Amino acid sequence: MQLPLRPIIDSKILSSLFVAATLALSYMPAANAQVDPGEWKCEFCPFTSGYDAEVDVGAAYVSDDAARFGNANGYDEAGAYVDLGGEGHYANDGYQLNWFAEDLGLASRVFEIDGGHQGSYGFYLGYSELPYRLFDTTSTVYTASAPDSLTLPSGWVRANQTSGFTNLASSLVPQNIESDRKNFTAGGHFLASSNFRFYADYRHLERDGVDMVSGANFTQASILPRVLDNETDLIDLGVGYSNGPLNLSLAWLGSFFTNNVTSLTWENAFTAPAGEELRRMAQEPDNDFQQLSLSGSYRFNAYATVIAFSASMGQGGQNDSLLPYTINPNIAAAALPKTSLDGKVDTSNYAVTLTANPLPKTRIKLAYRYDERDNQTAQVPWSRVIVDSFASGETELNTPYSFKRMQLNASGSYDLFDDLRVSAGYDRTDLDRSFQEVASQTEDSGWARVKWQTTEWLSVNAKGGASSRDIDRYDTTVAAGLGQNPLMRKYNLAYRYREFGELMASISPMNLPVSVSLSALWADDSYTRSTLGMTGSTTTHWNLELNWAVSARASVYVFGGEETIEADQAGSEAFAGPDWFANHEDDFLILGGGLQLAKLWDNTDLRLDYTHTEGDTRIAMTTSASGRSQFPSIDTTLESLRVTVNHKRSEKLELDLSLRYESFDSNDWAIAGVEPDTIPTVLSLGANPYDYDVWVLGLSIRYRIGAAKPATP
Amino acid sequence: MPINMKSRRFHKLVTLLLVCTPLTITALSADDASPEYSRKGADTCIGCHDEQATLDLFHTRHGVPSDPRSPFGRGQLQCEACHGPGSDHAGRVRRGEERPPVIRFGKDSETDVLVQNGKCLGCHEESADFAWHGSGHDDNQVGCADCHQVHNAHDPVRATASQPEVCFDCHQQQHAQSLKPYSHPFDEGKMDCSGCHNPHGTGTTNTLFVRQTLNDTCYECHAEKRGPYLWEHAPVVEDCSSCHEPHGSNNPGMVSLRGPMLCQTCHSQAGHPSIPREADGLADAAPSPYLLARNCLNCHTQVHGSNHPSGSKLMR
Repeated sequence: MQLPLRPIIDSKILSSLFVAATLALSYMPAANAQVDPGEWKCEFCPFTSGYDAEVDVGAAYVSDDAARFGNANGYDEAGAYVDLGGEGHYANDGYQLNWFAEDLGLASRVFEIDGGHQGSYGFYLGYSELPYRLFDTTSTVYTASAPDSLTLPSGWVRANQTSGFTNLASSLVPQNIESDRKNFTAGGHFLASSNFRFYADYRHLERDGVDMVSGANFTQASILPRVLDNETDLIDLGVGYSNGPLNLSLAWLGSFFTNNVTSLTWENAFTAPAGEELRRMAQEPDNDFQQLSLSGSYRFNAYATVIAFSASMGQGGQNDSLLPYTINPNIAAAALPKTSLDGKVDTSNYAVTLTANPLPKTRIKLAYRYDERDNQTAQVPWSRVIVDSFASGETELNTPYSFKRMQLNASGSYDLFDDLRVSAGYDRTDLDRSFQEVASQTEDSGWARVKWQTTEWLSVNAKGGASSRDIDRYDTTVAAGLGQNPLMRKYNLAYRYREFGELMASISPMNLPVSVSLSALWADDSYTRSTLGMTGSTTTHWNLELNWAVSARASVYVFGGEETIEADQAGSEAFAGPDWFANHEDDFLILGGGLQLAKLWDNTDLRLDYTHTEGDTRIAMTTSASGRSQFPSIDTTLESLRVTVNHKRSEKLELDLSLRYESFDSNDWAIAGVEPDTIPTVLSLGANPYDYDVWVLGLSIRYRIGAAKPATP
Repeated sequence: MPINMKSRRFHKLVTLLLVCTPLTITALSADDASPEYSRKGADTCIGCHDEQATLDLFHTRHGVPSDPRSPFGRGQLQCEACHGPGSDHAGRVRRGEERPPVIRFGKDSETDVLVQNGKCLGCHEESADFAWHGSGHDDNQVGCADCHQVHNAHDPVRATASQPEVCFDCHQQQHAQSLKPYSHPFDEGKMDCSGCHNPHGTGTTNTLFVRQTLNDTCYECHAEKRGPYLWEHAPVVEDCSSCHEPHGSNNPGMVSLRGPMLCQTCHSQAGHPSIPREADGLADAAPSPYLLARNCLNCHTQVHGSNHPSGSKLMR
């Protein structure tokens, strides 16, 4: 009885084996059937081995002091600067070591080093600084006697208004508002096998300097130069796994913020009862956040389907010791209900995306995303002391805000012709919030897009759509609890209808070395059910760029663009229906161009870039009492010219001569003419609108050391 | 027996068919197999393509023979790993006849962008952070080589100073916004787009944030805003872009509207929040603390939240 089955078994086994073998053969790279790459010698391949480097030594002269000009680059003061930079590379049999340095002589210095063995492990270390320069026209009467304490000069004459500060002028000392970020980075990766990759990234960020805050004193305030001194540590650890169509990653993020100045005490400059001159505010508390994430993707053979997912759970906390209600012991204040907040926030983020080509020329995408911020901080009654002066006599509950956001996206595209693709999609966002006027809102959006390569030289990409954001109800009880006008509709919570469109075109006329690109965008928001608050806004943008390769040695580009943002809002002074309206129009124009000339003279190249921008903000107010009035225009004008001439003296030696000119003029009614005592109830720092012309002339020498040599493969 | 014989013959026939059919298909497939690989690999290619811009590949990670994953690792397909089989391309062509193309990369390439990207993803799908498929760039059929210069040892998109210029080639609105008077320091080459966005997709939204949400992304550099604070400002914890324009603004602090009007789009309480502020409150008239200097922030300085027990009005 068994014998007759053998042939069947044999044939099944045989056929299965052959089918499997054949299938395996068919899926093996064709190369194996044709050639053996292992036999390829690559004799002409100039693999690199050895060390090479180039070192830049330069100097620059800056013509004028200008905080805004020096923001981020470090050239904020007139005078001479010495600069160093360069890079170096070592490579040998897959081992690599690279270094990079930039602006070592400036406050924007960067130094990085990385290395490892490619395909096995790698590491990096880095240090960089970023200067933040806000104002150098400011002055103050305060002195930081300690990082958390500002004192007035001895003999300070207090008054109810700034005009009464009789010794103000003699007490003012210049105080720049500027800070620096220092950034240390380190990390690496290790390939445990062809499937597993481990990585670790660490970043330590320090920020120190002087910032602006305001110290309120009921109907008066002083703008204060507070000392900044804080640190953030960021750690990313993870492992990635890949095996054919499957990719997985497990990652942990830790972020730890430490503020070395947890409060700010200042002496009130205005009249205050004896023994109650001090004021104090809290500074940003230490906080931490940790998050565990699992993400991955799987690629199916059927219909080119790919599923990608991501799931993250995080928890943040903050438990700094709380300050007392007031610094002034003379003021009767209740005992704190807690000595620290014990604030906790849980976060959840889940996402899954599916893409597939279910039919020829057809692609679909389905995506779902869920984000949640669950603030689990307990609600506790608090008894406020108003600006360190008197007890409010009320209790207030803190409102730990939470939200849940769900997003669904479905889209599809079809290649109608080889040169015409049409796409359409539907997006929905559901958002639930706590403690706010709107507990639940939904936004539905639909869009369509056409991508058309009309000819070889013209391609057009156009998209348009509309969205409608609806709410379950605007809870005026919540609004009333906040003292809000019941007709107010906050723009991020309100019903909104949006229409939008965008167009991108690229033109490359055949046989002409010219390319033109055009983009235009328009979006219109209508808050048709908002009586007070934002009632509408429109954004329009256009941009045009032209590039012309004049010859193999010369190229030219020009560009221009404009963006206009117009917004309307309504308010109610009478705490009833709208009795005033504001219209905002922000306009921004850019024009620019440049050229590159190679071998202008022997071994000399030139690059020139010019940019002109104009910003213009106009605000018109219409009130029942005084009709329509217009604020002076807030305008900015920037002219920027950068010219670099590079001369290659030899294979090892190059010279760079650079010239940079920047002019910036601005009119800003918020600070123009506002001296420290201009506002009767605000002692300000007297910042001036930016207005500068700065020239920077630089010369640097670049010298090459060594040369990577061809190596035998 | 006859039945068994028949059965055996039948099984032999089936076996023969099963063996021969796939082999025939395989053979036919081999015959149909489009272009073959060159006989000498890169040595064939470099015979013609010996310009420095091409050979600079050997200064990049793709040109490292000791890495078995590299196209030039032992046994790999060298140039043809990316550009596809090149035998026909390298072969003789008749006078006037167009040389058969290989896969070319970049915006001007006639090779379909999906084919281009397929070549890159064949090796880099793992490192493309899993989320390329379905990302905004994938949806818009952006090619890897639209941004990356694979043969360039100094790929501009991988350097902070030069990356924005690459991105702004398409994202022209963001280019314009980056030049506004108040913006992050893109123009100084000290911040790049990938500080906030992962162009390879992140499984977030089409905005491609490097962290799970927009706020989480901002907290990378502004962790002091994260809290949780005792007194929170509702829109802050949900969406920084409710008030800020991260690519640039005409207004200080990169806020979307001027104060105090920005605050008055949400705050309508009786008294000072709801009073219209007009030009008669400017410095040359009756200087108003509600309009000048830091306007609302002259008192409510802790707009991102306060951790002071008396800070419910964000003044402490």
